[in-house]
Amino acid sequence: MIDFVNKPVARLILVGLPALALQTTFFAEVKIFGVVLQIMLALSIAAGLAGGSENGALAGFVFGLMFDLVLTSPLGLSALVYGAAGWGAGYLHSRALENPKWLNALVVGLMSGLATFVLPIVANWIGVEGWLSSRLTKVIIVVALSNALFSFFVVPIARWSLVIRRNQRLAPPAEVFL
Amino acid sequence: MPVYSVSRRRAIALLALTSILLITLDMQGNSVVRGLRGVFSTIFEPIQSSARVITRPLENSWRGITNYGELEAENQRLQDQLDQQEGAFIAALATARDAQELLALNGIDNLADISSVTAQVIGGTPSNYSQTIEINQGSDRGLRVGMPVVNAAGLVGRITWVDNDRSLVLLANDSLYAIPVQVVNQPNIVPATTTTTTTSTTTTTSTTTTTSSTTTTLPVVPPVSAVVDPNGITTTTQSMTTTTVDLSTVDFGALAPTTTGVIVTIAPGTTAGGPTTTLNLDDLPIAETGIFRGRGIDNAPVVEFIDQNSRFGEVQVGALVFTSGGSQSLAPRGIVVGRVIKIVERTGTSGAVLEVRLTAKLTSLNFVRVLLYQPVATGAP
Repeated sequence: MIDFVNKPVARLILVGLPALALQTTFFAEVKIFGVVLQIMLALSIAAGLAGGSENGALAGFVFGLMFDLVLTSPLGLSALVYGAAGWGAGYLHSRALENPKWLNALVVGLMSGLATFVLPIVANWIGVEGWLSSRLTKVIIVVALSNALFSFFVVPIARWSLVIRRNQRLAPPAEVFL
Repeated sequence: MPVYSVSRRRAIALLALTSILLITLDMQGNSVVRGLRGVFSTIFEPIQSSARVITRPLENSWRGITNYGELEAENQRLQDQLDQQEGAFIAALATARDAQELLALNGIDNLADISSVTAQVIGGTPSNYSQTIEINQGSDRGLRVGMPVVNAAGLVGRITWVDNDRSLVLLANDSLYAIPVQVVNQPNIVPATTTTTTTSTTTTTSTTTTTSSTTTTLPVVPPVSAVVDPNGITTTTQSMTTTTVDLSTVDFGALAPTTTGVIVTIAPGTTAGGPTTTLNLDDLPIAETGIFRGRGIDNAPVVEFIDQNSRFGEVQVGALVFTSGGSQSLAPRGIVVGRVIKIVERTGTSGAVLEVRLTAKLTSLNFVRVLLYQPVATGAP
């Protein structure tokens, strides 16, 4: 049982389910300027920061797929965009020698804004209309800022999810050695 | 510059391809994808319910902090509105009774004949793009995917996913929502040739007692625009002329518990046995048909593919939009959708696009009613 819980995929699901429950209850009701905060996206990007691009893509895919399963939008849409966001965050992380918390917050904010912008574009591309509107600017700003603040606690959660040990965390990203 | 191994690239490409495959399957309405959603929902439901219980006090506190002033102002405004509508409600009830009789005589489906289930909204949309709400009734109460959801003001949306004790409602302003509708211009000033007359009747019992003590002069509701809700929440009326209605003939008790809403539609010339209503059919507008489509939270929904009818003439701003029904439509005829607020002309044969303002306020829903209606093509209502 303990071995199972120590596997990253199991931990991602263990973290993802309560996070999704929070997203569909608390965050669906508590809106900032009418915008729903996106904790699942924050977790996906945080996974990229914590575990590198490959882990970020995997975590983003898992969290996005879970989110898709409770939405009416096409299944796989959030998985694709969140996966890309996780990968992108991991890539940016690998470019920096040090990763202070403020830099993590900046990356989470930037990637959140980008993903929020890309999601309706991809949706429009596959035939879901009405997502691209003037409101999008407000949504991008609010989601980016809120996720930047969330980064201070979602990055440690993502580290735990991906079973990143302290010595691994302090070592250079895996990509550097490949 | 980071270097990626082939296996890493493959893993990431595989995730992307899986996403694209899932999107493709879902867009085609694949049953496996639907099943996957059902299984996940079963697993997720207890966790979500627990989270709802835990976070409810926090949500309430947040609402209390952020919305108190707004709620107070809204309460005052609603009280004023309620006072204004009290009188109109009585008039509407009288007209509704006439309408029900006329519809029944002509064998036309009436919303009052359709059973409904009242549900409370328990959750909003967790996304910034799709427009959904979650309600606390499900298949245990007879709800099925596709059933229309209304409130006192009009159309809210349709059921898009059902569990035993909860359902997901796709709101009418979501870009995935579409339904056939009719658009009817509001009649202008009543022409001289149009007469609407209701004569009072007397009820004779074995003791030969005549009851007609309460006679009130009431405004007549235009035949195509009267929407009556027995709970008196919303009544859209436009006075054109006056008539005398004997309130003793109105069966308030029969209306109140079951009627969801009644559209007073074009009626035949004369009815027998009850209040006599004479309408000149030539003076009534004919409804145009089109497809109503949501366009997201920011954009007004539209009606497209309008069949221009020479008798109807040009669609006007303010025209009423309501569901047209039909054997294939997921909603019965006569649910109020909204009013035309803008007409966008298009060149070619595509016809005009009508922007619509929904009568139901979708941003502040609390209780809704699900009509247990299924089109003839899929099952009996």
